[in-house]
Amino acid sequence: MAELEEGKEGAAVTKSTMEAAGSIPLPPLRLPCQPVSSHEHKLNFGKSKEMCLNFIQDAMLQKQWNRAAEFLTFYAEALEKDFSRDYMGPSEIIWRIGTEILCHHSHSGMKEFNSFIEQMKTFGVKRYLKVCLEHSFHLLCNGLVDEAYQNLSLAESWRFGEHTAIRDKEIKLIQAYKGLLDYYSWSKQKNILLEHDEDEFEDLSVEQEMHSYFRKAAVNLKEIIKIPGVWDIFVKCYVDLLEFYGDDEEARQVLSEYAYNSKFPANPNAHVYFYQFLKRHGESKKSLISALKILHDLVPSHELMIDFNTMLQKSKKRKNRRLGLQVIFAVLDYAGWKENVKAWSCLARQVKQIVISDKHPDWIEQEWDSRKDWWPAFHFSHYLAKKNWQENKSLSYEKALVAGIILGKDCKYFRYVSHQGCKAQAKKFRILKKFVNKHIPVHLRISGLSDSSVQP
Amino acid sequence: MEFPATLFPSSFSTGPPRDEGGPAPAAGWGEYGQVLEAGRGHHQAETRFVPRHGRTGESWEPADVAAVPFLPPNATCWLPLLAPQDILYRSFLHRKLQASISGPAVDFTKQLSHFFVDHPEDAFGSLGCLLHKNFHLGDSGVKREARDNTIRMTALMEEINRLDARRGCPQKYLASRLRWFSHLSRDWLFEVPIGLLADCVHEELLLQWAGLLFDDGPTGGALAWLPAEDTGARTGRLVYPGGQAMNHLYFQDVVLKELPSARGSPAEFELNGRIRQVAAARTNGEDFVGVRSDYHCGIWRVPGRTGAAPTPLQVIRTSMPASCLTVSPHIPGELAVCTQSGSTYLWNIEKGLQRLRHDSQTMFFRDHSPWRWCDFTAHPRVLSCADRTGLQCLDARAPERCQLDLFKVGEEASCQQGERVVLPMYLGRAHPSQHLVTTQFSMYVVDERLPLVPVLKWLHMMKAPPLFAHLTPGDPGRSHKLLLGASRTQEMMLLQYQGGGQLACRLVGPPQKLHTITGCLEHFPTQLPHRHCLLQQRLGIPAAGLAAVLQKHGPRESLLVFQLSEAGDIFCQRLTHEVAQPLARTSGDKPTAAPGSSPLFEDPASSPQHLGSEEEKEEEEEDEQTSYLSNLEVMINEEEDGGRPAFLEEAELTQEPCASPQPSPVVLSEAVALRYRRWLKALSKRCGEPPWPSCPTTCGQKRLFTREELQTQAGPSILHQQARQRMHQAMREGGRIQCWDLLDSQSSAILKPPEPVEGPDSLSARLTAAWSGDWSQWWEERTSFYRTQRQRALRERRRRQKRARGRRSLSASFTSSLTYQSELSELSDTGLPPLSPTPPQEGFPPRGSPPPSPVPDEALLSSQSLRIRGIPKERRKTLRDYLGVWTESPLEPPELPSSQVSQLCIPSSQSQLSSASQTRRKRPRMGF
Repeated sequence: MAELEEGKEGAAVTKSTMEAAGSIPLPPLRLPCQPVSSHEHKLNFGKSKEMCLNFIQDAMLQKQWNRAAEFLTFYAEALEKDFSRDYMGPSEIIWRIGTEILCHHSHSGMKEFNSFIEQMKTFGVKRYLKVCLEHSFHLLCNGLVDEAYQNLSLAESWRFGEHTAIRDKEIKLIQAYKGLLDYYSWSKQKNILLEHDEDEFEDLSVEQEMHSYFRKAAVNLKEIIKIPGVWDIFVKCYVDLLEFYGDDEEARQVLSEYAYNSKFPANPNAHVYFYQFLKRHGESKKSLISALKILHDLVPSHELMIDFNTMLQKSKKRKNRRLGLQVIFAVLDYAGWKENVKAWSCLARQVKQIVISDKHPDWIEQEWDSRKDWWPAFHFSHYLAKKNWQENKSLSYEKALVAGIILGKDCKYFRYVSHQGCKAQAKKFRILKKFVNKHIPVHLRISGLSDSSVQP
Repeated sequence: MEFPATLFPSSFSTGPPRDEGGPAPAAGWGEYGQVLEAGRGHHQAETRFVPRHGRTGESWEPADVAAVPFLPPNATCWLPLLAPQDILYRSFLHRKLQASISGPAVDFTKQLSHFFVDHPEDAFGSLGCLLHKNFHLGDSGVKREARDNTIRMTALMEEINRLDARRGCPQKYLASRLRWFSHLSRDWLFEVPIGLLADCVHEELLLQWAGLLFDDGPTGGALAWLPAEDTGARTGRLVYPGGQAMNHLYFQDVVLKELPSARGSPAEFELNGRIRQVAAARTNGEDFVGVRSDYHCGIWRVPGRTGAAPTPLQVIRTSMPASCLTVSPHIPGELAVCTQSGSTYLWNIEKGLQRLRHDSQTMFFRDHSPWRWCDFTAHPRVLSCADRTGLQCLDARAPERCQLDLFKVGEEASCQQGERVVLPMYLGRAHPSQHLVTTQFSMYVVDERLPLVPVLKWLHMMKAPPLFAHLTPGDPGRSHKLLLGASRTQEMMLLQYQGGGQLACRLVGPPQKLHTITGCLEHFPTQLPHRHCLLQQRLGIPAAGLAAVLQKHGPRESLLVFQLSEAGDIFCQRLTHEVAQPLARTSGDKPTAAPGSSPLFEDPASSPQHLGSEEEKEEEEEDEQTSYLSNLEVMINEEEDGGRPAFLEEAELTQEPCASPQPSPVVLSEAVALRYRRWLKALSKRCGEPPWPSCPTTCGQKRLFTREELQTQAGPSILHQQARQRMHQAMREGGRIQCWDLLDSQSSAILKPPEPVEGPDSLSARLTAAWSGDWSQWWEERTSFYRTQRQRALRERRRRQKRARGRRSLSASFTSSLTYQSELSELSDTGLPPLSPTPPQEGFPPRGSPPPSPVPDEALLSSQSLRIRGIPKERRKTLRDYLGVWTESPLEPPELPSSQVSQLCIPSSQSQLSSASQTRRKRPRMGF
């Protein structure tokens, strides 16, 4: 019966598409394989099934959705003999392909889609939860949040089949998404309350509803973030809930668990959330620095490293300023930061500071030591000097400053930029030139020392 | 470098991959994967969600119905590709072997026997020389005084020859004489010990088989596009291999128009080996091109401005085949090289090689493949090293200490069992910290900042593992286009994805399949059957690389995709962005290339409606066989009204089963059609007829007509010329020939069938018959006529010979009787068997099997022919003697103690001998 319905469904689709395709005359559909005799056909059933699938795929990959739909109606026959123990049986194939076609088909609406999926749910018992989840995704993406919620609730209460690890995961995920939707409802209610709060408006029922949403959301969200994984959105929502109700301890624990539990993947966002939480709650500089230090070790190229560098530069501790230099040098190692003015100005500022104060030029030396063989080609080539000058003058200024101090005034980059700058009568560049000329000894020291360090 | 504020949810677990079925046919469809809230401000009333696998993306529509040849065909050698049946057992033995062992049953004995037959001097030379005095091949008895040192081999040779006749019979038993001889001689007869040789051949065949299943040599692709420095300029440079052995490197300037065309002749470099991979990257305004062949890697520098000559910089030689070469996108003149010994090197043209890693073991679990890969990452000193089990990042400054697992085949990326890394690629141009990893089932996008958890996973459903990939980065807010290409099946898939910076990475739009080179076949002008097959083979050669160019002119955008085949042919196709105005079709346009720009476009002044076959005919006058056949082909096509010629149907059937019936309105624009014709013409001109037996150059016995007949008839007569002129004119004018009456009275012969009596020669009679449609009747008449005629002549001759025989010796009579036999066979070959009048097409020898021309033994016995065959003078007599004893009864096999007759030694030697002459009918000479 199921396949009959599927056939009907497919046929309906076909009919509508044929009508729709009236504008583009297509040659009549040729059956992929003409069955020679029924006996032979039976023998070749598996083969022709495979062929039909190939045709469907082919049409889909060429975006001929109407055509694929027509072929799919033939493929529905494959359900007749679905005794396969394959990982993916025909029912799942039909579900996948049908969904895809209906998503792209010009003449399918939400109604057709829903009825198709309902059928799919009935004969894809093994994959029931997956189909449900995907169905809710479809509804969510189309803005039908309430329907999606209903769907998720139905799926959650489904109790058939054997318990497998995959199924447990899927159930957890369904619950988590349900919790997420509860959270959105909660936050909607919260906003209503907050808005009306100003008007001294109080509605107990709204507030109660909000709390009930909170409870539902919190239970489900709490569950999912116990499993190792990337749960950024769930964690964020859960922490938001907790913070609203003032449970900062729990929130902190959740976040630190999410960031520092070794079973979880090394997700930079986990550290970012933790850092932001600490910052929101006005934690001490020390704890902020230690949070960011860990992030620096994990992802030296993270955008927060600029903040980190500024924070460290302001620090009174020598160790921290030293770390700041390391951080900004490491940031600029990455191709993604190559043309970032902010990062270069951070480095330029710190290098300038060091040179002017004449304290710890060895810091620059040590940082430079591991970069001297590739930074000149990577950052300070003549080509880049030209390009940066054309595209971004302030970038080339910052870079020229660093190049001038570290590589000396004969460095190609510095020479080109200062020359162009002086030609353009920019005062900034003249000062730069003077500054670099004044601090030649620093460069000599860096290069001299680095030379001697090579010798042993 | 921003990191997405929220990532798509995914669970994470460690361990080996799940035991899950294997490749599923439609696994990539119908899934959203996960959803994520789209906007940041969720306090707005509506919460919007975006899926990980989005359904809407930019739509890129193919501009043409098929890929178009870009350059003239490469003058490659016509070696047919290795097919499984070439190296696998196909006989009953195969079934036996399959039952006993798992894995491929490699037919090494066939190869061995070919070797013995083709190179007897190498196989048995020295012992042959030593023993030839002691082996007597004559029919006469061995003289008494010589009997101590000489034995007669005549009977043995007969046995061997008889084996041929019994081939294929599963019940065949072995003559004890052969068994005896093989047992006796197997230890000393062979130049190389047979066991050792067989081991080596077997090993080599297994390697070949592995290569046939999956060849990772071309990983990365051997095609690179170097864009012009000025992005507005519609030029660029294509780097590709070519030449007979694919060992020439070409740098070709290309002008991008509706159809791209080559400008000027390419810069060419001859290299020392087949080019496997061409990698290119642009740093500091210069392109660096790395070229990998098996044992050499080289680097070229190409200045960015157009017209500047590429300069070779350095070459390194490796002792093990190199498996990877990538060029740094960060630092000029820096490359990464991997060899199959498990070593990874950083290669700087100034500082030389630095070994980063040497490990013959794979990284995460044990895998036998020696394939290694490495690529660059966002950090210029950090390289990602890969083997089949995963990717690891290591810092070149401290390669032993600083390592980071980037991707693992396992539960971390929810891989399937048996999944293996096929091609990693740094996607730096899309986002500095993204990497692509393809396996035979899926494609992954991995972010360096979030190791082990792929930020994007999609099951690509390709039939062969994607060995090539190309990234076309999109502008901010647009999608990045990722092309995946497979080698064996030539598949190409276009994917679009977004994100990595502010937003999480996600697929946008459904995947799209691009045209393959094979798909062009139906757009070529109709071919003769054998040429069609050749063309089909040529187009079906596995792909060797792909490259793409994004062109923007105003609101229009188009993506030009080049595909290289292993034969060195380059085809291109254009995809246009639908939002842009549809491209004006080039119909009616003449090819607009500058004269002399590309050989494809030479002399565009000639009539564009030139018929391909017509041109060929004129050009290949020297090859009467072909022109004759092409004449015939026209007739076949006209005769068969009912359907297409059988060969076409057949060719279609042998195509990939996935080629679904196309709904495409097959309309080729004029310029495209012209390209096809030119390409085909160049192919037949440049590559000529392949030197395989499918197209024998001599007229065999199975030909319908003799060479003389053709020579007299094939040349264009005045009549033909006139007709042809008129035809040309009519075609040029686009009109039709309404009546031929204006021609002189002779011309009526073309249309009206001439009186059968007047038909002086068989060709015109046959053409006439064909024209009027009763060819087969004509055929029967002719064969019966010839048969009776020839039988009469034969009888006459026999009578004469009988008379002469009286005065001759016995041996001479034997020779003449041989002649008689051969003539009989000649007759049965020439004339068709009386019972079955063969349909016209079958008059040709079937492709691949040359007509077994009976070798007249007279010719064999003449001393001249013996000399030609390299038989030394003193042996010619022996051989003649030997051939003379055919009718005599074989000698009694010498008595042997039964213990000596080992059963064990038989099968191998027997199968060597029996399968030796499967296709070759040469007599095994065995060195004596």
